[in-house]
Amino acid sequence: MFQRKKECIAMLLAGGQGSRLYVLTQDTAKPAVPFGGKYRIIDFPLSNCVNSGIDTVGVLTQYQPLELNDYIGNGQPWDLNRNWGGAHVLPPYTQSKTESWYKGTANAIYQNIPFVDRYNPEYVLILSGDHIYKMDYDKMLKFHKEKGAECTIAVMPVSMEEATRMGIMSTNEDQAITDFEEKPAQPKSNLASMGVYIFTWSALKQYLIDDEADPQSENDFGKNIIPAFLKDGRPMYAYSFEGYWKDVGTLDSLWDANMDLLDPSDPINMRDPSFRIYARNYSAPATRIGSGAKVTNSFVAEGCTIRGSVDHSVLYTGCEIEEGAVVVGAVIMPNTIVRKGANVSYCIVGEQCVVEEGAKIGERPENHLDADWGIAVVGHKKTIAAGSVIKPKEIV
Amino acid sequence: MNMTGIIFSEMYSDALNSFTHDRNMAAIPFGGRYRLVDFVLSNMVNSGILNVGVLAKQHYHSLMDHLGNSQEWDLNRKNGGLQLLPPFATEDTSGSRGKLDELRNALDYLETISTTPYILLADAYVLCNIDYRAALEDHIASGCDITMMATKETEASQIDFASVMKADASHHVTSYALDCPAKPGDFASMGHMIISRELLINVIRDYTSRGIYDFLRDFIQHEFNRGRLTINLYEVETKVLRVRDVNEYFQSSLAILDDDISAALFRGDRPIHTRVTDEVPAYYGLDCQVERCVIADGCFVDGRVENSVLSRGVKVGKGAVLKNCIIMQGSVVGDNASLENVIVDKWVTISDGAQLKGLDSNPVVIRKGVTV
Repeated sequence: MFQRKKECIAMLLAGGQGSRLYVLTQDTAKPAVPFGGKYRIIDFPLSNCVNSGIDTVGVLTQYQPLELNDYIGNGQPWDLNRNWGGAHVLPPYTQSKTESWYKGTANAIYQNIPFVDRYNPEYVLILSGDHIYKMDYDKMLKFHKEKGAECTIAVMPVSMEEATRMGIMSTNEDQAITDFEEKPAQPKSNLASMGVYIFTWSALKQYLIDDEADPQSENDFGKNIIPAFLKDGRPMYAYSFEGYWKDVGTLDSLWDANMDLLDPSDPINMRDPSFRIYARNYSAPATRIGSGAKVTNSFVAEGCTIRGSVDHSVLYTGCEIEEGAVVVGAVIMPNTIVRKGANVSYCIVGEQCVVEEGAKIGERPENHLDADWGIAVVGHKKTIAAGSVIKPKEIV
Repeated sequence: MNMTGIIFSEMYSDALNSFTHDRNMAAIPFGGRYRLVDFVLSNMVNSGILNVGVLAKQHYHSLMDHLGNSQEWDLNRKNGGLQLLPPFATEDTSGSRGKLDELRNALDYLETISTTPYILLADAYVLCNIDYRAALEDHIASGCDITMMATKETEASQIDFASVMKADASHHVTSYALDCPAKPGDFASMGHMIISRELLINVIRDYTSRGIYDFLRDFIQHEFNRGRLTINLYEVETKVLRVRDVNEYFQSSLAILDDDISAALFRGDRPIHTRVTDEVPAYYGLDCQVERCVIADGCFVDGRVENSVLSRGVKVGKGAVLKNCIIMQGSVVGDNASLENVIVDKWVTISDGAQLKGLDSNPVVIRKGVTV
């Protein structure tokens, strides 16, 4: 049979629980968490793929996959509805001899070797659904080929303090990776792994098979596969990425990344029409601003109705802010209603919540000692009773 | 669904010539993110209609571009779906001589949809949110040859309606007039009618073979006046906006700023679908003052905007003041510009400090792509 061939396909690890997002990931996987008004986190890696000319993406799901499956559908919003290729949701499944969940990131790819082989690719791009960034993977692939690498890891410089919480690479002058440490106490370098890998598929496939055969292995890319490549002296290179990249795995970082959208210099480069971020669309009408409303320094998606005062905030699709409500420094996720006279400050409010009249969520940082202050967080589909108070740092 | 929708996309193209220079009427932008055709098309889809033919004769590239493969309306179907019906090129294709002339081009299509015994003929100049299923039931129950959907007018109109009717208590039409204003209590047409497929095909064949093309005058009125055609009137009680000339376009566009009208038009249970453009959410700047506005995705607003509609990707510079304005997609209003009662078509640049002022009964219109 004539075997068609893709040069490079992507495998997107979207099974993470995202437990540090607490209530926001109670019923949904982290990549499905809303971001930036109209997006979900997974829109970024998916759109990056399409914008980089990669038209085949396997999305590996495991934890609470319902919303994510629904969201990805046939991949049409990202132009990933292809006759040959496109977006495929890959949950764990029962096989003839074994039956198992994805034990780790490497095991998830191992279990889908037949899927990858169907496209007979030269290279496989491994992605995660945890980060907000715009990146042209094609440039990284060119680098991978130029260097004759079998494994290329995208890296970016971070502060020494952040380095202690990340996977850190040491490289020589040719950008070859000489050392890799996961969360080092004394970092030898400030180049952190972005969780974006390109492997030559034939090499990775063998390492996945060997790794699976090792009962001691945790079947994880960071802990097992990459150290094994390094130990064997396989050609590994670090690809330096310059630009915005943010892990939104914690409530604070998720809030921060939303606030970055308000920066007039547009650090994420959201407005670049040649590199759009695509999202599933829900046919909401344009946003309505009522008489007496006040909206400043805010990012507002479609389908909202604003009659109150909104400053320094990000409102997601279909939110309603009633008269006399005050919203400051808030991230308000889709279809949430803030009733008359409520005060919503410095917080994240989940999808489909109702903040009843006169309720108060969060506070400005000015009146607090640093240690006492933090953003307040309300999970999805919660009702905050009239007149009740959610204090800074509180999570409900 | 046993009804097929046929959309006429040209009606009033001439009266709206400020906008129809390089697009037909159905493709005129409306409401920040829509085109006129989105309303009738979404109504059809939301009413369960799976077969839709769109008749287009002139300047229909913009409409084709907008409809694409019609997947936003869920009409990219294996069976049925949306079909654009431009005319066959013959020696007599220049200009439309009437609805029957346009329908003649749809004869083959009407023959193929033999599973739907009823046809909804709909003009794209009306903006409303209605369920055509109820109208079809009413048509069948009435036993009449044709059902005209209409609104009951409460005040004397300024602009002519295509047809104005009086009806008895059982909603049978008792008088039928063409191209005239309506008096209070009259029923005014909205370019929507239901007719059986069989009758429609016979009329198209018979009349066009005799060189007769005016559907309303030569068929409906002529036959009605001779007692050979019964007309049922289906009263539409929800809010209906019409776009028949530039001033009415302006008034209807501003009307959606009204909460009740907006709620009648944009219902959560029956959404109006449109083409997705993947713009970023709108950004409201530090010095922004907005009141009573409709603002679409991708806008960047740093000025003062009041009682206006901004379409996707509009930029309003610092210190700019907009009042009663309709700004279409991608246009830029420079710093400190001042606009009142102005309609700005797509991709226009209003220079810094420019001042434009129209009358509320006669807005200034800036054509697509120009710099002012």
